[in-house]
Amino acid sequence: MSIRCTRERMNKNLLRPPGALPEREFIAACIRCGKCAQTCPYGSIRMASLLDGIAVMGTPVIQARKTPCYLCMRCPPVCPSGALKRSLKDKEQVRMGTAEVSRKTCLAWQDTLCRSCYDDCPLMGEAITMNTELRPVVNEKKCVGCGICENICPLEEPAIAVKPGSAR
Amino acid sequence: MNITRLRKGTQILTIILVILVPVLNKNGITMLMGSLYSFAVGPVWITDPLIGFQTVLTTMTADRTLLLSMVLPVVLALALGRVFCGWACPQNTISEFVDVAVMKFGLKRPFGKSTTAFPRYVILVAILIATPLLGLPLASLLSAPGIISVQVAKLIYEGTLGLELGLIAVIIFFELFLVRRGWCNYLCPVGSFLGIFRFKRTLKVLFSEDAVHVCGKCLACADACQLGLNPMEAGTYPQCHNCGSCISACEKMKADKRPLVFKF
Repeated sequence: MSIRCTRERMNKNLLRPPGALPEREFIAACIRCGKCAQTCPYGSIRMASLLDGIAVMGTPVIQARKTPCYLCMRCPPVCPSGALKRSLKDKEQVRMGTAEVSRKTCLAWQDTLCRSCYDDCPLMGEAITMNTELRPVVNEKKCVGCGICENICPLEEPAIAVKPGSAR
Repeated sequence: MNITRLRKGTQILTIILVILVPVLNKNGITMLMGSLYSFAVGPVWITDPLIGFQTVLTTMTADRTLLLSMVLPVVLALALGRVFCGWACPQNTISEFVDVAVMKFGLKRPFGKSTTAFPRYVILVAILIATPLLGLPLASLLSAPGIISVQVAKLIYEGTLGLELGLIAVIIFFELFLVRRGWCNYLCPVGSFLGIFRFKRTLKVLFSEDAVHVCGKCLACADACQLGLNPMEAGTYPQCHNCGSCISACEKMKADKRPLVFKF
């Protein structure tokens, strides 16, 4: 019962702060204390509401399109319960999710010159590379899922978006 | 030292901190941080023992940092009893305020029938059994002080409030119309868990008469207790919050000759 109950309610695809345990364990371990949100200097971390589901109510989420994670790495060490791995210090080790480019809508893939996501990626030249035709390609091995690309994409509906989840 | 005045001071201080800490955090000052689930004073972390224990149950691991952060409140409870409830908890402060207001209007509400702590422990155990089964931090969702402090922070940070506050509204409604001080006295799992940490030398209200300290049978103490306990009888623990209202009331009548005192 337990597993089904939580699984049904966790398919919300919420982007979690850096160092978060896999979703089901995260929901169980997070005590909803809000310390990670309080320590975030960018206001990137918000507390999920009941509308996101009772199982995730009060847990920290990042809405990258509004405010992405700038990988300052202040939140993992303040987590009292270990729902965020406190030992995580290196931003390159973060695995919040993976960015995906929609080649159907991406300007560069439509032959318009645009390199916003490439330019703003904090792992510049590693997580997003430009191919020989100057189109952005995500390197899944390097992408940390911070969502800065999703935030910066000039299209109304971003052509690059983070798919949450630490499991690779 | 006037117990009531001192206690009101700590209650107001708690409310000030609940508001001030997120404001400071938002402005980059993080010396004090957190909520009434888990609080950080610089490098010292303090976690509500029930919240910490619940996490042990949901994760089936014992995180050393988490366990260490539960030590201070457990020691406080062992030394001074449930003073968190009576002297700090914002829900208790709200409930006390509601109760005083209601009494002024003369609204009659019954106390719950039970005068023992047994039902509240049944509820606590039920919550602790359901917690690992659901894989959810149920105690967090039912911690009134935690919800109040997190929602104040949410208001300061995001400018919105969450539906978690519904619990607080239900508690106020319940205490207004159904059972006087019903949440704190019979249901709250945070208080129940703190009530476990108590032994022979834990601070308590003691009724002891001798040649000088004679009870006038005025019942001012029992009237003063919002939890409906009678300090002149035995068996007031572990429901008693050590708020000291009864001692203050007794002091008004008998001054230094009062038979009610705090004693370790």
